[in-house]
Amino acid sequence: MSDQKGFRGQIGRRGLMKTGAALGAASLLYPPAPSWGASETPIKIGMIDSMTGNFAVLGQSAIKGAQFAAAELNKKGGILSRPVQVLVEDDAGSPGTGVDKASRLLDQSQIDFFTGTTNSAVSLSISQFAAAHNKLFVCSGGHVDKLTGPACNWATFRTCSTTWIMTSGNSGTLVEKFGKKWYFLTTDYAFGHSEQDDYTKQVTALGGTIVGGALVPVGTPDFSSYLIQARAAKPDVLCLLLAGDDQINAMKQITQFGINKDMHIAGALFELEQIAALPVEARYGSWSFEWYWDQPKVPHVLDFAKRFAAANKGQYPSARVWFGYASVHAIALAATAAKTTDSMKVAKAMEGLTLPPEVALQPTLPTYRPEDHQLMLGMFPGTVNQHGKYPDLINVQAYVPGASIAQTPAEAGCSMTHPA
Amino acid sequence: MLVILFNAFNGLIQGAFYALMAVGLSLILGLNGVINFAHGGFMAMAAYFAYTLVPYVGFWGALIIAPILAGGVGYVVEQLIVRRLYLRDPLYSLLATFGLALIIQDLLRTIWGAQGVPLAIPDFLNQPLSQVYFFLTGYRLFVVALAIISTTGLFAILRFTRLGIRIRAGNSDLETIAAVGVNIYLLRSANFVLGIMFAGLAGILAAGQIGLTPTMGDELIMPSFVAIVVGGVGSLLGSLVGGLIIGVASGVTAAVYPAATEVIIYVIMGIMLVARPRGLFGQEGLLE
Repeated sequence: MSDQKGFRGQIGRRGLMKTGAALGAASLLYPPAPSWGASETPIKIGMIDSMTGNFAVLGQSAIKGAQFAAAELNKKGGILSRPVQVLVEDDAGSPGTGVDKASRLLDQSQIDFFTGTTNSAVSLSISQFAAAHNKLFVCSGGHVDKLTGPACNWATFRTCSTTWIMTSGNSGTLVEKFGKKWYFLTTDYAFGHSEQDDYTKQVTALGGTIVGGALVPVGTPDFSSYLIQARAAKPDVLCLLLAGDDQINAMKQITQFGINKDMHIAGALFELEQIAALPVEARYGSWSFEWYWDQPKVPHVLDFAKRFAAANKGQYPSARVWFGYASVHAIALAATAAKTTDSMKVAKAMEGLTLPPEVALQPTLPTYRPEDHQLMLGMFPGTVNQHGKYPDLINVQAYVPGASIAQTPAEAGCSMTHPA
Repeated sequence: MLVILFNAFNGLIQGAFYALMAVGLSLILGLNGVINFAHGGFMAMAAYFAYTLVPYVGFWGALIIAPILAGGVGYVVEQLIVRRLYLRDPLYSLLATFGLALIIQDLLRTIWGAQGVPLAIPDFLNQPLSQVYFFLTGYRLFVVALAIISTTGLFAILRFTRLGIRIRAGNSDLETIAAVGVNIYLLRSANFVLGIMFAGLAGILAAGQIGLTPTMGDELIMPSFVAIVVGGVGSLLGSLVGGLIIGVASGVTAAVYPAATEVIIYVIMGIMLVARPRGLFGQEGLLE
């Protein structure tokens, strides 16, 4: 105790006054951009996403997108004339940590809504947490089908695609162009299993066969033994369903072994961030991209890309950035329509909400489907632009509207219930 | 059957790499008595040094300079932190180096970004040598060769030089060699730096083959701990053999039941701890 007193004694009256004066002067130098009235408490959006761990790069992109959207909203008067704040917490890619952080956001910061998550396992646990605490959760980046399928609930909406939408974005083309014998290398958790099930259904329906596959633990640094198996099975298509840094490791080793000369490398998810991290010789393959900044004929897109890049040291928006961006805007639109921040009413307003062109940023305007709360975003199947310079790394070959390939809510297995 | 043989062979290559990592760890554990959890961090750090240096000095120059730089950082860390832990319970060093690992990881993330960066290796190494044995790339052979050369070199240093003899003597009885006039502070610093340089070398070699990210070391460090436990704590030969054993075991498992490739090495460790706690070549009584 005496130590504490001694410490307090060190800050004298003079020191205190100087600090106070300095703070006062500083606030004169930096006035807050729009001056909100004193009574207007901010609307707080709690974002749980990966800032460290295997999904850190993707998570940070989503966070930048969400913060960019919040800054835009605040320039135009916020939500319901109240300023918007995005409060970010790191889930480190783990569901347990994610729920701890969600609980802290709720108790200490009294947030109004949840968004975020990259790892599907975290998405599922935040979804349950949000519903149990009567808060809206707009999942920006966890793809597992279940989230808007059997595990759907009134509080959870999803901006990114389901693994079904993603896989059916290119399965037809791949079977037609490259062959019917498929081999899977699949990351061993909810997201990978979900993707593999979906591809298996689609490929067998198209007359293809699955000649083998291996489940790979998350964080595997060396893929050589898996690749020996894969080559021994002699598939036409080696389908990579890996996530985060694992995909980079696998792609690098596939090139070193020359396997991409014997079979076609393809898969569902491959992201701008990951391509940028690969050396030129490991940039290849066919993938289902979920969004791309270069859509020459679509209004608003290039403008958005340039504004974002200017605000983020030249980093171009990726699909992950758009997920975060669209999720925050969707919350703003729904809250504005509901004229409240009450999660249940906002959720009601979000059912059937169609994103306007300046938020949708793609050829068709996707809607959050009322039956299962899944956004019907479109897919951009394409290939990697091997010798392109960042950010010009993807050759988009088509645009497939989400509503044309998504499972019906019944097929997806969602039976939505609302609390009384 | 052929696939299993392929995998066993491939496992040997992989094992040589684990051994290279384990040797550095084992060196530090032996003389310094520190379980260095930050080993993976130093690996990644050296790899990032190499990534930054490649444009100026080329891959080969970076392969030599980056481990030395990492060794330099290791020296500072030894002087500031590790040195204070020598006489304490191993738990202190475990906690301190674990914290250090987190600090290094976040520093790397702050400086070079969370996004992975590509470390390119020379083209002529970057292709398979044979169509049948496609997993034998020039680069992997090079890694194995370098692992053999550097561990042989280390054995030679330990066997034939004054420094090496002192390190070995210090391993068995630090107080006595201090009493006969060896500066054990200097000796321990030198040994720590040597261990970190091995980590650095392993890190650069790994980054040539997998993606270079701040968390790279985490994924690689556990197998080398297991290699040490299996091979025997305190024995360099043990670390080498341990590395090869777990490499082959996880390779063969990948052929039979891929989902268990990771768990198999811990099963082996568990069996070893029950059947022979000091490991294959470990000294009796050390950390037993």
